[in-house]
Amino acid sequence: MKGIAISYAVTAALLVAGPWLLGEGGLRFATECLLILAMAQMWNLLAGYAGLVSFGHQVFVGIGAYGLFLISDTLDLSPYWVLPIAPLACAVVASVIALPLFRLREAYFSIAMWVFSEIVAALVTKAAWLGGSAGLPLRSSRLLDLDWFEPVLFWIAGGLALGTIGGLFLLMRSGFGLGLMSVRDNDLAAMSVGVDVQRNRFIVFVLSAAGCGLAGAVSFLGNLYVSPAAAFDVNWVVYMMFIVMIGGIGTLEGPIIGTVIFFGLRELITDQLGYSAGWYLVALGTVAVIVMLWSPRGLWPPLRDRFGLKLLGVGRTAPTAPDVPPLAGKVGQLG
Amino acid sequence: MAWIETLVNGALLGGLYGLLGIGLALVFGVMRLVNIAHGEFMVLAAYLAVILVGLFPQVHPLFVLIPVVIAAFGVGYLYQAVIMNRVARAPDPLAPLLLTFGVSIVLRNLMVEVFGADVRGLQLGELSRASIRLFGLSIGVMPLLTLVAAVLLFLLLQWALKRTSFGRIVRATADRRDIVRLFGVKPDLVYNYVMGLSLALGAIGGVLLAVRSSFTPFSGVERLLIAFEVVVLGGIGSFWGALLGGIVLGMAQLAGLKWDANAGLLYAHLLFFVMLLIRPAGLVASRA
Repeated sequence: MKGIAISYAVTAALLVAGPWLLGEGGLRFATECLLILAMAQMWNLLAGYAGLVSFGHQVFVGIGAYGLFLISDTLDLSPYWVLPIAPLACAVVASVIALPLFRLREAYFSIAMWVFSEIVAALVTKAAWLGGSAGLPLRSSRLLDLDWFEPVLFWIAGGLALGTIGGLFLLMRSGFGLGLMSVRDNDLAAMSVGVDVQRNRFIVFVLSAAGCGLAGAVSFLGNLYVSPAAAFDVNWVVYMMFIVMIGGIGTLEGPIIGTVIFFGLRELITDQLGYSAGWYLVALGTVAVIVMLWSPRGLWPPLRDRFGLKLLGVGRTAPTAPDVPPLAGKVGQLG
Repeated sequence: MAWIETLVNGALLGGLYGLLGIGLALVFGVMRLVNIAHGEFMVLAAYLAVILVGLFPQVHPLFVLIPVVIAAFGVGYLYQAVIMNRVARAPDPLAPLLLTFGVSIVLRNLMVEVFGADVRGLQLGELSRASIRLFGLSIGVMPLLTLVAAVLLFLLLQWALKRTSFGRIVRATADRRDIVRLFGVKPDLVYNYVMGLSLALGAIGGVLLAVRSSFTPFSGVERLLIAFEVVVLGGIGSFWGALLGGIVLGMAQLAGLKWDANAGLLYAHLLFFVMLLIRPAGLVASRA
């Protein structure tokens, strides 16, 4: 626990110093990594801990981005101050669509989420007041100090990534998190001891949507421009899912490992070897499929068990049984 | 009159949509597994058909269906044997879902890199444009033939599952994969055949859809979503429901397009979502 707190503080200090340590290109790359990591953690929260695989999480990226652009432009407020709108809007949308979607189970939930995302994307593409298929520029960008724009974005992204990991760590150690993990491991047993599965799923769904919306809003704030094709791109969820699949589903460490592999592979294939983005996705998908076949729960759990590693262990040790003197004399009868 | 014609054409298109759904429903029914890569396999079949038509221009394009369907069966058999059977046994329903999604991304991007992102189509010459007049309505010959083919395939599949020993083995495996082993049935082998059959049906749908409208490597997503909506609308587990679901969806799409020309699949998707709200069990209640 102490080790975790120290490494957390060191990481936070590194993130604060980041803009002075990294070049301009490096800073932008790091911002992207941190945002994707935050999204992957949010997707993992839903899939790994609530058993709900969403193929439509790109809808929250899009809603977060459009919410930010729209409100910031309409109220003529600095986008930084409007950022909280993005998770709020996503949380509202998620709590409304949970109603019909939660009637569906497993794969049917997954694809219905996807259909919902397609519907929203089609409606945004048709909406003239949202810029149609051409998209929207961020007009309120003139309120931003452009000298500090990249560092501030990096800090927001870093805070978001670190915040989601820290928040999830605390959540998983709470009673609520214990309930979630018990459902993950054995839903029947969890229900029999009084864990309200549907309520847990609802809370996790809304949290996951809000986090994704915030990360999406920051990501498009960095572009100063949003279009429906980019915001509602199915590749957002593909990235989140591959990172979680490769790293380890239902663990906090898994998405971190997955993000390192995701970006390492991308730099290797598109930058060093010079192949196109299509081939990169082919390679990434192949890696994910092989990992799934070898270890269905991703790379982290077997590594952890083999080497006895502990990074962000949320496990608890059972309280030792109180010393009760054996029932002398009755043992024979019971035995 | 124009509206009636639209609805009739929608119903004809729906036969094809039913065909897209049936392959997905078959695999789900037997293995409790949704093959997310179903759409990509359909598009792959369409590419194979386009290549074969280019290689043998003297053969009528519809005869190309025969080698394509055989190839699709083989691909499905291998896909199940090499990849899917390793996770089909897992108690965790997440693993097959994620795995098939991964396969779909790999296939989609492979097709982009190998065939390019250009729009393709399959031309049938005279047959594509031919139409007949029925009760004052102008009906395309090809859509009509497609619907007839879909109904025949549904009947054939129904008969095969109900009356043949292969069908009995498949149904028994779907019910109790542990018990059928006592009768000398290898569940993995049954799964291989079922996946082959599913992709063969998908290939027929994929090629016929390529005749109707053009496609790109990215069309697999649309095809999967239609197939899935057909299955859910019809009621999970009901074959004839899938045909009905397809017809309703086809009508919704064409009526939507008539009203709003660049809507694409928006109205079909919306209808699906509304139906989910008011009738989650599907049009035909599932017989569990």
